[in-house]
Amino acid sequence: MSKSYFDETHCAIGHPKTKVMQWLLTIDHKRIGIMYAAVMFTFFFVAIATAMAMRIELFAPGAQIMDGDTFNQAFTLHGVIMIFLFIIPGIPAVFGNIVMPLMIGAKDVSFPRLNWFTFWLYILGCLIALSSLWTGNGFADTGWTFYAPYSLTTDTNVITTLVAAFVLGMASILTGLNFLVTIHRLRAPGMDFFKMPLFVWGIYATAWIQLLATPVVGITLILAILEKYFGIGIFDPSKGGDPVLFEHLFWIYSHPAVYLMILPAFGIMSEIIPVFSRREIFGYRTIALSSASIAGIGYLVWGHHLFTSGMSDIAKTIFSFLTFFVAIPTGIKFYDWIATMYKGKVILKTPMLWALGTIVTFAIGGLTGVTIAMVGADIHLQDTYYSVAHFHYAILGGVVFLFFAGLHYWFPVVTGRMYNETTAKVAFWLNFVGINLLWFPMFIAGYYGMPRRYFDYLPEFEIYHQISGVGAAVILAGLLLMFWNFLRSWNNGELSGTNPWEGTTLEWHLPSSPPPLENHTKVPYVDFNPYEYHHGEPVVKFDYETMKRID
Amino acid sequence: MSDHAYVPEIATSRDGVEHEVQGWQGDFYGGKLGFWLFMLTEVLMFGAMFMVLTYYFTLHHADYIDASAGLNRVLGGFNTVVLLVSALTMGLGLLKMRSGDVKGAKLMIWATIFFAFLFLGVKAIEWSLEYQHGVFLGLDALQSGNAHSKPFGQILFFGMYFTMTGLHGFHIIIGIGLMLWLLKRINAGLVTPEHHILHWNIALYWDLVHLIWVFVFPYFYMIGADAGGYHIPDIGSLFGGHSNEH
Amino acid sequence: MSTNAKVDYQTEKGGYYKVLIGLLLLTTITFIQPSMFLTDATFVVQLLIGLIKALIILFYYMHLKGETLIGWTVSFAVFIVLFFFTIVIYDVQNFQFVDESHISSEATSAGSPTAGHHSSHSDTTSEHTSAASHEATHSEH
Repeated sequence: MSKSYFDETHCAIGHPKTKVMQWLLTIDHKRIGIMYAAVMFTFFFVAIATAMAMRIELFAPGAQIMDGDTFNQAFTLHGVIMIFLFIIPGIPAVFGNIVMPLMIGAKDVSFPRLNWFTFWLYILGCLIALSSLWTGNGFADTGWTFYAPYSLTTDTNVITTLVAAFVLGMASILTGLNFLVTIHRLRAPGMDFFKMPLFVWGIYATAWIQLLATPVVGITLILAILEKYFGIGIFDPSKGGDPVLFEHLFWIYSHPAVYLMILPAFGIMSEIIPVFSRREIFGYRTIALSSASIAGIGYLVWGHHLFTSGMSDIAKTIFSFLTFFVAIPTGIKFYDWIATMYKGKVILKTPMLWALGTIVTFAIGGLTGVTIAMVGADIHLQDTYYSVAHFHYAILGGVVFLFFAGLHYWFPVVTGRMYNETTAKVAFWLNFVGINLLWFPMFIAGYYGMPRRYFDYLPEFEIYHQISGVGAAVILAGLLLMFWNFLRSWNNGELSGTNPWEGTTLEWHLPSSPPPLENHTKVPYVDFNPYEYHHGEPVVKFDYETMKRID
Repeated sequence: MSDHAYVPEIATSRDGVEHEVQGWQGDFYGGKLGFWLFMLTEVLMFGAMFMVLTYYFTLHHADYIDASAGLNRVLGGFNTVVLLVSALTMGLGLLKMRSGDVKGAKLMIWATIFFAFLFLGVKAIEWSLEYQHGVFLGLDALQSGNAHSKPFGQILFFGMYFTMTGLHGFHIIIGIGLMLWLLKRINAGLVTPEHHILHWNIALYWDLVHLIWVFVFPYFYMIGADAGGYHIPDIGSLFGGHSNEH
Repeated sequence: MSTNAKVDYQTEKGGYYKVLIGLLLLTTITFIQPSMFLTDATFVVQLLIGLIKALIILFYYMHLKGETLIGWTVSFAVFIVLFFFTIVIYDVQNFQFVDESHISSEATSAGSPTAGHHSSHSDTTSEHTSAASHEATHSEH
């Protein structure tokens, strides 16, 4: 069998002999993506452990296992890890790295050494964030948003967390920069922008957000750090500084950041739906352009986080209006996906199940988002469990579910093996039931006034919290089962072959699975659309020796 | 790049036309595009700081003018010219490199480094003069609630002044480091007239540092230059200010 | 790309010197403007001069001329910054709680007592302030 990227690699410095050093110094985009995934999912489970601890605490009114201050640190830790360490780098760092260059027929990203550097910058950021658990006065208790003025006066270790967020932001910027240049420069000959797979479009739109929104939060964090050390006064009301300005600057980045999370996830959806419906995607251009317009409009809606913070009425109205606008391109995507399945040959393999489940959960998450985009409703629902449930339906039920869909979908490309289908389906149903048990009661609790971030509550909310607690346990079981399935199948799953799903995009036309070090042996000339099916069969076929079309 | 020897690949279309495949190795335009994208992040970063500055300018107009009037326009102006000339030497250095005159290019880079140090020296003098006048981060004048406290607007103006000129100075220091690294690469034969993307990008970086100063300088030093400068229209009124409602 | 091609130093350097002279001239204008002309609008004039200087640097020193893709990306970034400016400054200008706000006026300040007003009209401003607070009290009852 030919050598795969697990057997040989290019390194940033020299030619190390040991396996470990070859992994640590590798500039191969596939290996870097795998390392990102390993680190990220480790942190993912740390954050889940924190969340489970909070759920146990909230299982009954009053203090169970922790006091209020610890609870504050727990939800901050959960938020910081989930947002900055897991979901923001998330899909771009893993699948953007592994799959995007394969999809456009490139040998690697444009700046492979920068990619290597970025990975280690990310690790550095993670270490700084974790170090604040054990240094100073304990982990920050501000929530992951670090709102001034409390973040400037609390004696917990906020500065370390701010520095970590800044370093992670730099890593995010450099990833986005690398992908933008890659997509502009390294597409296979013939592949113009409207012949790119839709996942690449998702990554492209995301990269623009990473590049142009992250610096704003970077400088905000720097200003907050300078504020704490030197007292420059920018966010300190006793010197005339305005804490609302902090909120403006923070959300100028952090709202586009949720589109940064969801756009590549939508990209995964747009890959899976046509392949498992064996039909050409409906409305290719509208999906591609809606990604771009979600990214564009996403810059202009941050103010809906400030409806109760003392913004002017006119600004509130503008922001509310612009926020409704985001629902339009999102809705277009949903119609396109459903229209693709219509009269298609739908095959309910696990990736498709995850994609279909997401259509349900994200629809709930998205539509509840529209309700709280209304200024009047938001004043009632702001900072209640309603917004918590909305956020988690959209991010867990949207981004993370599609991330899992992608993990199943591209598992054969990455490992050359197939996961166990039955186990994977059980894991999906556990997750799908779990998420609804966990978060749906929170909509009701939030509507009746259960505030977020409280470690105690009135007795009438007990039933909602207990249903949520059960749901959390079900999700946890589903997640453990899924990852156990992955790890087991990686070792002794069936060999998958290069194209188990009859996919049409270039990552399914590799010479071997797992792919060789420099991907395609020869770069094909792309004169076809990404999802060409005819009567349920892929249209484009290649002679894999010369990569010429033979259909 | 020697350890990844690169031969451009050919992709052939169905009608037999051959197309050269762009690889990541030796991609001059890709390197340039990447660096421009990096500079956009700098634009956003300083843009956000200018936004903070303008935010408080709309709140504390007169205080800003007063505070600006107190800055040292002679030293600031001198530094403006220093940066201007350094941008020229940097540009000429790149031009010499591209035309094949490596020695002349190195001389120009050294000249740029000299001007960069000159800028930092003048900056240091300026800051220490301000320190002697009691205006510096952490001193009483910029703290709230004591006898020497300046008004809110001035505290915020000076807070941003030290932050922004400080970060700009930090960029100058990084630039010096980059230029020294560039000289090392030139001496090692890794940057040549045929392969000068590094020189090109560092020249771009230096122009960006200059560009930021082009806005930092008037915003801090010149808005209060007119001693009686209380007649300046409020830029906020362009956005339908509060006062227009009456 | 053409910028990667070899150039002749003697024919190209003239352009650099011309740009230098232009920039020096604009810098001179920067210095004399506050005491010479348009003194009512120093801020706007200064930033306009800065803008012209920036464009010259961008187009000639940074070789942006003729770069379509890079030109678009730069315009996009600048547009986003300007949008942030517009919204945030607009918001602070139309701040509704200006009379109750702690940050917009302070006891020790000798400057203007209210936000976003011309201090040259401080008399009329205080009238407005009292009128505004009167309205506020009125609407509360």
